[in-house]
Amino acid sequence: MLEVSIFAILALFMLGGSIAMITSKQTVFSAFGFLVTMIGLGGMFALLNSQFLAIAQIMVSVGAVVILSMLTILTVNAKEENLPKEPHKYKWIMFSILLVTPFTILLYKTLIILPDHFSTIGTINAKVVGKLLFSEWVLPFEILSILLLSAMVGAIVIARKKRKRPGKKERRA
Amino acid sequence: MSTASILVSVASFVLGALLALLTIPVLVWLERRIASLVQDRLGPNRTNVFGFRLGGVVQSFADVVKLLLKEEYYPGHIKMGRWLFMLAPVITFSAALLAFMAIPFADTLQIDGEALRVQALPIDFGVLWYLAIGAIGVLGVIFGGWLSHNKYALLGAARAGSMVVSYELPLGLSILSFIITYNTIDFNAMVQWQSGTFFGFLPAWGILVQPLASIVLIVALFAETNRNPFTVAEGESEIVAGYMTEHTAMKFAMYFMGEYVAMNTASAVIITVIFGGYQIPWVSTEMMLENFSAFAVVMMVSVPVIVGLLIKWMRKNNTVRPTVSTDGGRNFETKVLTIALLSMTALIEVILLYLVFVADSALANSITVMLFQIVVFVVKLMMFNIFFILIRWTVPRFRYDQVQHLGWYYLLPLSLLNLFITAIIVVGVNP
Repeated sequence: MLEVSIFAILALFMLGGSIAMITSKQTVFSAFGFLVTMIGLGGMFALLNSQFLAIAQIMVSVGAVVILSMLTILTVNAKEENLPKEPHKYKWIMFSILLVTPFTILLYKTLIILPDHFSTIGTINAKVVGKLLFSEWVLPFEILSILLLSAMVGAIVIARKKRKRPGKKERRA
Repeated sequence: MSTASILVSVASFVLGALLALLTIPVLVWLERRIASLVQDRLGPNRTNVFGFRLGGVVQSFADVVKLLLKEEYYPGHIKMGRWLFMLAPVITFSAALLAFMAIPFADTLQIDGEALRVQALPIDFGVLWYLAIGAIGVLGVIFGGWLSHNKYALLGAARAGSMVVSYELPLGLSILSFIITYNTIDFNAMVQWQSGTFFGFLPAWGILVQPLASIVLIVALFAETNRNPFTVAEGESEIVAGYMTEHTAMKFAMYFMGEYVAMNTASAVIITVIFGGYQIPWVSTEMMLENFSAFAVVMMVSVPVIVGLLIKWMRKNNTVRPTVSTDGGRNFETKVLTIALLSMTALIEVILLYLVFVADSALANSITVMLFQIVVFVVKLMMFNIFFILIRWTVPRFRYDQVQHLGWYYLLPLSLLNLFITAIIVVGVNP
């Protein structure tokens, strides 16, 4: 009963946070909604007795994603009147909900039978995750790191100042 | 769950909450007194309750009353998001408070074969908890700064955010090299690792085993907690009060107290990771439990000496100048405090004598050792808080670009290099 009530509270927080994130006009409140959702998700993982995932969720999503997006919001500092007008926002949201519903049902039906096909580990702590990452899943892990590296290099290339090649006139001068 | 485990967890939770919350007035008082002593003046020492000054700590309670009764001014230009504007200081405060809860105050207590952690949150991934929860604190700063709709507050929030981004990396990397050295992510196991010796005679404290990572850790924690010389987010000579500009009364006090709780947490992390936590050098918990009578004798000798020195110091200092006619109850206070301290010492002596000669229970012995370790922890914690305060009043504030330069150009490469060397040595020593 206790678990169910904790689950209900966390789910309410997550639902409220994600709805606030989609519907609020000002980006700061969206970021706050995202923060609430991510903390709720961390709580869900903790409820499933996987402490490492819970903490990693909070560390990555809150410590990195929310703070970086907040920095962007601070830098842009959009005024109320400069935000884009969205007259048909709720219609679009309803439409996309209708569009996604069949896939959600499919996903639910797939996910609900998944636990029968995997062995369950009692508690998932950092040691278990680390050993799995560096034994069974080492190839996907390394591929992911290459992906991140290429993203980083791309970001640096885009952000670098463009050096002008000296034109003919300048060379003469 | 046995009764003992419930009792120990409730007691350690209460202890954690008290250590985090009750140190705030003490720290505010220490800050003002130490600042005054550094600047060659005395600081607040007049406020009293029935003649009891306690060196001026009572001043902090007067401050609290002042902050509570202040007008709750609300800037008129904040149209939307008042609730988040009010909530932002609470986020900062509670994140700092929660991060403190993973610190062990004493070694694991063994009762009937059950290992009980003396930790407010009995978790074995404390390092990750600190890194995850500690990072939430800056979000309160950013939300508050943005919602103030004020250029100074916005600048302060942007500075706080970008400083956290640039110092989180060296902090994480230096803690990672400690994790590799100690081979654990549990704060308590880290402290137990440090109770050994290093080269045969040095205590195996993190600062001696990993000097470079220790320095990076201390500097990064100074920046994370927004203390001088990294107070660029609230640099009052440049941007009024930074993110706190529009916050008044208790909202301001929440930010203010959050800073002290964060400083307390940072000191606790520093002593746990690199200064042996609740241990005294060369002496591990098992050693104290095995030679309990020797430990008790040492305690019986040292407690009266320390208390005697304290009483002598108090008698010398808690007086007025000879030209002043009334002493305002200072003699009375000294007398009462002397009696209290002496009776406390006598009580400790009696209890220790009873434990050594009459009772012979392992449980009572381990509880005594636990209490001793808690005292050692609190003394170390206060020493590091004083270190934080002394740094604030001796070093001037860095310019903002200097802060970023230090973080990205020096601390990050240094911690990466240290991580590399540590990994090579650890793999080389235990292949």
